[in-house]
Amino acid sequence: MVYRVVFALFIISKAGGLIYNREFHAGLSKLEANDYLIVAGTFHGIHAITKQLCPAAAAPTPPAITTPSLAPSPFPSRPSGLEVLETQNFRMQCFQTQTGVKFLLFTEPHQPNVDTMMRRIYELYADYVMKNPFYTVEMPIRCEKFDRGLDGFVKVRS
Amino acid sequence: MILYSFYIFDRHTECIYSRKWNTRPISSSTKSARPQSGVSITSNGDVAPATRKALSKEDDAKLIFGLVFSLRNMAQKLGGEDDSFLCYRTGEYKLHYYETPTRLKFVMLTDHGAKTQRSALHQIWALLYVEYVVKNPLSPVEHPGGIGVANVMFEQGLDAFVERVVLPT
Amino acid sequence: MAATPGLRYPSNKKTIYDRNLNRSKNAELSRAAFAYLFVEMISYAQKRVKGIADLERRLNQQGYPLGLRLLDLLLTRASPPSLRPTRILPLLQFIAQTLWRHLFSRPADALEKSESDPAQYMLYDNDPLPNTYISLPKEMSQLNCAAFVAGVIEGVCDGAGFPTTGVSAHSVGEQEGGGGVEGRMWPGKTVFLICFRGEVLEREEVLGRGGSG
Repeated sequence: MVYRVVFALFIISKAGGLIYNREFHAGLSKLEANDYLIVAGTFHGIHAITKQLCPAAAAPTPPAITTPSLAPSPFPSRPSGLEVLETQNFRMQCFQTQTGVKFLLFTEPHQPNVDTMMRRIYELYADYVMKNPFYTVEMPIRCEKFDRGLDGFVKVRS
Repeated sequence: MILYSFYIFDRHTECIYSRKWNTRPISSSTKSARPQSGVSITSNGDVAPATRKALSKEDDAKLIFGLVFSLRNMAQKLGGEDDSFLCYRTGEYKLHYYETPTRLKFVMLTDHGAKTQRSALHQIWALLYVEYVVKNPLSPVEHPGGIGVANVMFEQGLDAFVERVVLPT
Repeated sequence: MAATPGLRYPSNKKTIYDRNLNRSKNAELSRAAFAYLFVEMISYAQKRVKGIADLERRLNQQGYPLGLRLLDLLLTRASPPSLRPTRILPLLQFIAQTLWRHLFSRPADALEKSESDPAQYMLYDNDPLPNTYISLPKEMSQLNCAAFVAGVIEGVCDGAGFPTTGVSAHSVGEQEGGGGVEGRMWPGKTVFLICFRGEVLEREEVLGRGGSG
């Protein structure tokens, strides 16, 4: 397999706050802690707009414009919002859970198998963050076992 | 490939050209069933879907510009000064972006499975915009409100280009 | 009496008491279900506690009744149905083997007798199941949530007639982590300290003499 690199993982809470930020390999610019929060907040808004722009709106049927709040809907078929962002230097995959948490995985532009990686990260999150009695929802994630799980997994892969 | 819309923004953030292709066949029949359920639960009687649609048609261009602008900044912030935003896709559509050296911004919305249309956007700029708008002696240097862009030559050229190059891919 | 249908009185008249005790003998429970339940148990125990020792005491109390009941259940299920253990070693074997297999589907990792204190025994678990998903915050690094399991052990000992001065759970992974390979391999390694009361030791001595004489 070709040697590829995962740059970083962000987790954005339902309310748009950055609750986890982890760099695996250098490649992205280093920002001030505050700037990361701003980027996360901006992306939260961008994500909401990308849902609104769904071109199905041009069709005669009522458009599926979501309310500003990202209220979880029992219907998985609502517009997904931004899933993959590509730039010259990186590729970012965004995965939103049914509860509105967003996982942002930054990789090299041609990283394969990001989907599997994302699923594995979600699993780790469900296990070591959500099942941890000392984690408060919407708060920054400080769970040693989650960190360790990511380490073992991302380092092995890349 | 399905083509949804195409926009040009000038360096003053104004939308100087926009074009929509009506895209109700095939795909929209499957899509229409889904959004309806979404509307029934999300719209709490604040805005009726019909009026919102009318609004969004006018504001689409502004929204897209804001979006593209933010994404471009985000890309530069994270990827470095030399980085540039190329495209993004959602589960429903894909947005392609190309910025000319003169800071004109070309944006195209297609279905989400489409290949990158960056080169097509580049060609529209080089072969159509430069030829029929920039080199047109009757067209003003700046295009406030889109004056001089949507001339017959450009429109025809765009139609032909879409037919010949964009759609077959 | 026309009982309303519900959890206690199901419509088909089959209550939990009508079922065969062995029916769920080999049934496995969802680990996630336990994890979420344990999250709530800890949150509940954390209300109005004064410190880590207090929290561990509460977890211990939650486990204690479970131990009492499990002793009954496991002895009934044993084939042939056996009497309760009457000596310390069989009791500890029962805990390390039967109880552990029932709760965690594997035996405990080691059993040791303290060299300094004859009343003290150590039971080791390299990776206690309740701690699987738990990352402790820095300010609570002293806590070991396996205190719940310690409570279960205490219940079993007490129920079998071996009163203790307490069973406690301590993390050993980190202390060893500096030196041994063990610590790095099993960061969650936990020791359960079992301290029997004086009378238990006295009885043990009498029984021991009776056995040899």
